[in-house]
Amino acid sequence: MTRAARKAGAAGLIAPATLVVALGLLLPLGLLFRYSLNRFVPGEFMVDALTVENYIRFFTDPFYTTVLWRTVRIAAIVTVICLVMGFPLAYVLARTQSRFKNLLLMAVVLPLFVGNAVRAAGWMVAFGSRGVLNASLMGLGVISTPIDIMFTETAVIIGITAVNLPFMVLSLQSVIEGIDRSVEEAAFNLGAPPRLMLWRVLLPLAMPGVLAGGILTFILGMNAYATPVLIGGPRFQTMGPLVYGQFIEQNNWPFGATVAFVLMAATLVLTSLSNILVHRRLHR
Amino acid sequence: MARLELENLTKHYGGQATVRGVTLDIPDGEFLVLLGPSGCGKTTTLRMIAGFIEPSGGSVRLGGQDITHRPPWRRNTGMVFQSYALFPHMTVAQNVAFGLEMRKIGRAEREARALEALRMVRLDGLADRLPRQMSGGQQQRVALARALAIRPDVLLLDEPLSNLDAKLREEVRIEIRQLQQQLGLTAIMVTHDQEEALTVADRLVVMAEGEIRQIGSQQDLYERPADRFVAGFVGRSTVITGQVREPGLFESAGGLRLRCQGATAPGAASLVLRPEAIHLDPPPDEHNRLEGEVTFASYLGPVLELHLRLSAEDRITVHLPNRGGAGLIRAGDRVSIGWPQDTGIVFAGTA
Ligand SMILES: Nc1ncnc2c1ncn2[C@@H]1O[C@H](COP(=O)(O)OP(=O)(O)OP(=O)(O)O)[C@@H](O)[C@H]1O
Ligand SMILES: [Mg+2]
Repeated sequence: MTRAARKAGAAGLIAPATLVVALGLLLPLGLLFRYSLNRFVPGEFMVDALTVENYIRFFTDPFYTTVLWRTVRIAAIVTVICLVMGFPLAYVLARTQSRFKNLLLMAVVLPLFVGNAVRAAGWMVAFGSRGVLNASLMGLGVISTPIDIMFTETAVIIGITAVNLPFMVLSLQSVIEGIDRSVEEAAFNLGAPPRLMLWRVLLPLAMPGVLAGGILTFILGMNAYATPVLIGGPRFQTMGPLVYGQFIEQNNWPFGATVAFVLMAATLVLTSLSNILVHRRLHR
Repeated sequence: MARLELENLTKHYGGQATVRGVTLDIPDGEFLVLLGPSGCGKTTTLRMIAGFIEPSGGSVRLGGQDITHRPPWRRNTGMVFQSYALFPHMTVAQNVAFGLEMRKIGRAEREARALEALRMVRLDGLADRLPRQMSGGQQQRVALARALAIRPDVLLLDEPLSNLDAKLREEVRIEIRQLQQQLGLTAIMVTHDQEEALTVADRLVVMAEGEIRQIGSQQDLYERPADRFVAGFVGRSTVITGQVREPGLFESAGGLRLRCQGATAPGAASLVLRPEAIHLDPPPDEHNRLEGEVTFASYLGPVLELHLRLSAEDRITVHLPNRGGAGLIRAGDRVSIGWPQDTGIVFAGTA
């Protein structure tokens, strides 16, 4: 095959994906951005304009900045928890020689078979103030008033963590599996206790997985919808439900588009920033 | 640099004994080579010394101290891995300095000692490269430098050269031996390559099925093998099965009557003959004179290898020194061969 033909072949292979990305993502994104510059007039729905007043409204109203900050905070905390909890699990999965390895992997992925909404609904039944847990504890006389687990930020963080953990574990596991076991042994042999082996050898080599898993969980956390709505309750606001509320409940498309764009920009900026920071640390 | 003593070292994997009762005393500065067929427990033994595998029984003493239950990072052994196991994200210099860093040695001394170790393996010019930018042989020497830099009490090498080509292997093994002597290191090397074993070792250990079969010098193993297994494993040999009829007389399964050493009592036995101990056209007074048909002749360079059929049952391999006139003998030729009575070794038993 000539070089030109090979190039054409390669182009042919990536064309479908490119098309899907272009049509499914860039087009709506462009439209969204355009809408965010429109003006909302109650009763008239959306008026063509080129104004940044929606963005000004978002960033000057403490209600919205608080929602943004809360979303970032929750996503960041979830990412850190996923990393700390996921790394040991991923390590064990990557290094195990058990015959049941595939079964273990399935067990990690299993939660993903249940949709977020279904799972959150289940949690409501289990942990709500009249849920199974409280009812049993009160029935047994252990507590007299129900414990409020639902409708708190903690509950939302736990909920999103449970959803995101498999993604983190899988990203880490595949990278750790590619790291030669004898490299760890070499570190031990040269006098590194486990803590230093982890810090100086394993983590730097697993960094691509940490980054991939971190970015994935962070993005998922930023954009979470079902979990905050169902577990956080009606008064608990994060960016995902906010976008939905503006579009569907308020019918305010320009402001909804603005919130969506802020959410996306924040996600993008924060992930690229952490990416750059990590690379800088690695290539000191 | 220290004396290493293994006592009754044992490892079971689920009831199966992989290493059984290995006892070895390796004096300070000795280069010991472990030989044995695949799966006989060489790597397991080495890894128990390094602390990667917890022994099921027995003890490891290094420099007089019992280190059997110490974690690997507190043992001061220098391991060279078959896969090199260099840290891919660190430069050559950082790799070599890693062990010194773990020993909390100051930066200046660390760098000086790393460079010194790299100089020993003649790689001081490549200190800033990453491992992936080096050839296999260079990576292997970095791994060696990294193990030497910590001044280990014992150097452990598990088939360190098996990924190198034949020419390089010869170079690096001589280098390893010279460094080991120069630094007075105690070293244990596992290898499958017998020539390699013979060139570097002060002493050799032959293992089989998790046990030590023989410990000794090159000459001991070759000329005085402890059992049939060692005789067959070290160097080339032909095994003729049969019976000792009376002291000094061996009768093969194919009916050949051969004169042999007289120490073995009558009964089932096997006679082991080294291919180079047999010569062509023996003098008339030779103890054993036989005729055979050449079934296979191969030109190996320094020697000519012949496979002969002596009887319907008996085959023998002969190595003749190449004195120029080699291509003369071909498959199908009949030749006469012989060997003195005390050449072969007789082992009693059928196994
Ligand atoms: N983790 C383990 N679990 C069960 N059996 C094991 C384990 N590790 C090794 N073995 C068995 O122990 C035996 C000895 O293995 P070892 O690696 O020590 O052999 P070796 O002499 O180094 O062989 P080679 O020359 O092929 O490297 C093998 O039969 C192997 O199958
Ligand atoms: Mg081995």
